[in-house]
Amino acid sequence: MSEPIARRNLLVEYRLRTTKCLNCGDTYFPPKYFCNNEGRSSKMLEVDNFYEKGEFYSGSVINEPTNRFNHLDTFVSAIISFRESKVSIPGRITDYIAPKAIKVEEFVGKKVIPRFRRSYSDGRDGLIHYSSHNFSLEDDYYTHQKYKVTKPTNINGKPGIVGYGVYLPKFRIKNDEPALGVLERSLPFADEDTTTFAVESGKRAIIHSAINNNEVRKCFVGSESSPYVVKPSMATVIQVLELGEKMNGGFFSGGIDSQFACKAATDLIIDAAGLVAYPVFKGKYVMVIGADNSQASPGDRLDYTVGAGGVALIFGRDDVIATLDHYLPYTSDTPDFYRREGEKYPRHGGRFTGQPAYFKHVVTSMKTLMKNTGLKNNDINHVAIHSPNAKFPVQAAQEAGFEKKQFETGLVVKKIGNLYSGSTLAALSAILDIAKPGERILMTSYGSGSGSESYIFTVTNQIEEKRKQAISVKEQVENPKKEYVDYHTYRKWKDISYH
Amino acid sequence: MKINPCAAIIGAGRTRFTERWEEDPKAMIGMAGMKAFESVDKGIKRNEIEAGFFGSFLYQVTNKIGLVPGYMSRELGLNVPMINTEAACASGGLALHNACLGIESGRYNAILVAGFEKMSDRQDKIIDDLMFAADPYEFEAGYNFPGLYATMMTRYMYEFGNNDSRCSEALAQISAKNHHHCIKNKYAQFKDKGEISVEDVLNSRMIANPIRILHSSPISDGAVALIITKPEIAKKYTDTPIYIMSSQEATDHVSLYTRNKITSVMSTRLAVDQALKETGLTINDIDIAEAHDCFSIEEAFFLEDSGFYDEGKAWKNIYESYESFKGSGHIPYLKNGKELTVNLGGGLKADGHPVGATGIRQAFEVFKQLRKEANENQIDREVNTAMCHNVGGTGGIATVHILARDIQ
Repeated sequence: MSEPIARRNLLVEYRLRTTKCLNCGDTYFPPKYFCNNEGRSSKMLEVDNFYEKGEFYSGSVINEPTNRFNHLDTFVSAIISFRESKVSIPGRITDYIAPKAIKVEEFVGKKVIPRFRRSYSDGRDGLIHYSSHNFSLEDDYYTHQKYKVTKPTNINGKPGIVGYGVYLPKFRIKNDEPALGVLERSLPFADEDTTTFAVESGKRAIIHSAINNNEVRKCFVGSESSPYVVKPSMATVIQVLELGEKMNGGFFSGGIDSQFACKAATDLIIDAAGLVAYPVFKGKYVMVIGADNSQASPGDRLDYTVGAGGVALIFGRDDVIATLDHYLPYTSDTPDFYRREGEKYPRHGGRFTGQPAYFKHVVTSMKTLMKNTGLKNNDINHVAIHSPNAKFPVQAAQEAGFEKKQFETGLVVKKIGNLYSGSTLAALSAILDIAKPGERILMTSYGSGSGSESYIFTVTNQIEEKRKQAISVKEQVENPKKEYVDYHTYRKWKDISYH
Repeated sequence: MKINPCAAIIGAGRTRFTERWEEDPKAMIGMAGMKAFESVDKGIKRNEIEAGFFGSFLYQVTNKIGLVPGYMSRELGLNVPMINTEAACASGGLALHNACLGIESGRYNAILVAGFEKMSDRQDKIIDDLMFAADPYEFEAGYNFPGLYATMMTRYMYEFGNNDSRCSEALAQISAKNHHHCIKNKYAQFKDKGEISVEDVLNSRMIANPIRILHSSPISDGAVALIITKPEIAKKYTDTPIYIMSSQEATDHVSLYTRNKITSVMSTRLAVDQALKETGLTINDIDIAEAHDCFSIEEAFFLEDSGFYDEGKAWKNIYESYESFKGSGHIPYLKNGKELTVNLGGGLKADGHPVGATGIRQAFEVFKQLRKEANENQIDREVNTAMCHNVGGTGGIATVHILARDIQ
């Protein structure tokens, strides 16, 4: 598909855009800019169904797909009707492996939720096409979340986290035996990649924050598995989530895709918090996303610890759930893990990734920040540390003098694997899921190459009010609808969505 | 019946439909055209042809052949006005409709109408190419073409099937019946395959649940040509012209998801209504029909959309007609003692479906049956009036023609 067609399509497909006649109420998909009843006198309003729930009207299990979709094997395509807006849209049921013999009629009437997913790509050097015409079944892994903007009550306070969103895919693989404490890991479905993780986690963060998406003026996406070498996932996130004020199909917002191995996102937290307090910025919020379809060479020891998913944080000064109080970065040129341009998988230095790399940077940053602030270890209630596996963060926390009760909540790596750029943020999110007002959180990230930085947050009263809007890490880790796949499927899906 | 036909068919020729790997498109078209000229009883000279109307769907996309009029000018050695019609699977029916308009307008006395398609040239991507007959957003949603009809079939079974296994059996019986009809049709793609049973259909490969491979028309190559004239000069060329009594076209949204209903085809309903109104006939006056059975559910839709059976009732009647049939000839659909025999040469399912040729092939079959020239496959009862029903996409367009032999 040509680039101009792709641009026109995404304007419609990213947010399930329709138009509605303000006179007679008729709704059109694809959008029409005059009404069939009212003609040229009609006044048409653009509406989208991005946060709506749809219903399966009819469909088919596609066993022999077109070339565009044969990477997905067998799947369900369907007509989805949106009762509220009285419009129907064609789509694909995602996160669902269709059995050979099912009665499709049994799907009729089921409720479905739009998901931002990858449709297909024009070969390895062509465009990747995404859309929200993908729907998960409501009675499956995901619940439907309503998006409601709430007027903030506590404004212009100290910068901090306004809300967060964690997105863990439905599918998992179990390790035959624990790999450095990792028992099972999340992996992308065949239509997911780093960009879809970034969008889905960002969508959840907006819902959790209850903010107006137009007031987010900057978006950082940190990753080491971006689908494009040149073309930012950030721009896709801005387009889908409509970050910034809208103007002529674009948005008054900016951002960047960053890379610094696993701390590509966390490194930018200080920048996000700084921007919202900087008068020239003139924006209320900044979104920071860490997302990865974490890569490892097949059969390598990392191939048994890598996970997949995304975490988004929104920073601002209104109704903050955790203020950012302290920060310290520490960096050196330490070649422990790297991937050259054009190479598919990263290389690592084996045991060299441990003591001289991870532990040196993490422990130095943690201990020095604690010393600089004058805080004692028992002033910290929770510790979140980058988790390449389940042993390194434990050892690092213990070396820095912290106890199990302080770091165990953040050890989600055991059940989701290493999310690379999302790893530390997933640990932080698991803590925010349960943290009480007044508690302090020490978060220390690590990125190969190498660097580490530590942040100290203090939880506010606002956290409990917003908690009902979150889908917790625990809910996703323990979701009874999660589905396990074998190693062959895991490798296949991981590779499809990477290229 | 009103006796003012819009055109008359005086000659018809076709190739066998099959995978014609070694022939190029022009060889097929040349063969069909030659046979059409040769079939004119009293002869017609090439320079009496005043225009050419052609139907093809994928020539540009699949075969990389554009400017069909110029291409055909060279093949036919004519420099008369020509037009190519693209309307997906109804390209042939629409070419015939446009040719009828050309005759009715008084502009032309004799026209060559041809339909052709060479689908096997790109069997590697034909599944994708066929999606040009659908809405782009349906393509983007992962649909293949059978999947769209499967979506209609799912909804039909949901609304009218009552969880009764006879509903899916009836839809399989349509395929079995059409294969039965093709075995004496020397042009049919599956002539040599022999009979297939309902069980064969129900156990065949699932391609887009609930549609199986034996519910589906095949990938085919083939060409068909007709020569049509003004009705008043037809007897100059043959004593038994077949008159086109009405030629109708109706349209509806290309997309399934924007229609109010997907358990029927509105364009068929509109075109049939107009054709019956124009001729002063009812559906019960039609003896035989060539219905568009790209997938067997579409033949069931035709039986309801034409008014032969009530909405949602076709499957029960199909089942009862099939089960009660005892003979060895064509299997008719029954209604209160009335018989309507559909797809006498096997339809799209068994005769084959080279997309642009199909609408013209339907007229060819009727031409042969009404003139009692179908040889071994001739229907064993007296028939005079026929309907041809050609659908594009999932119903974005339908053409309906009513044809008759004796009109006095």
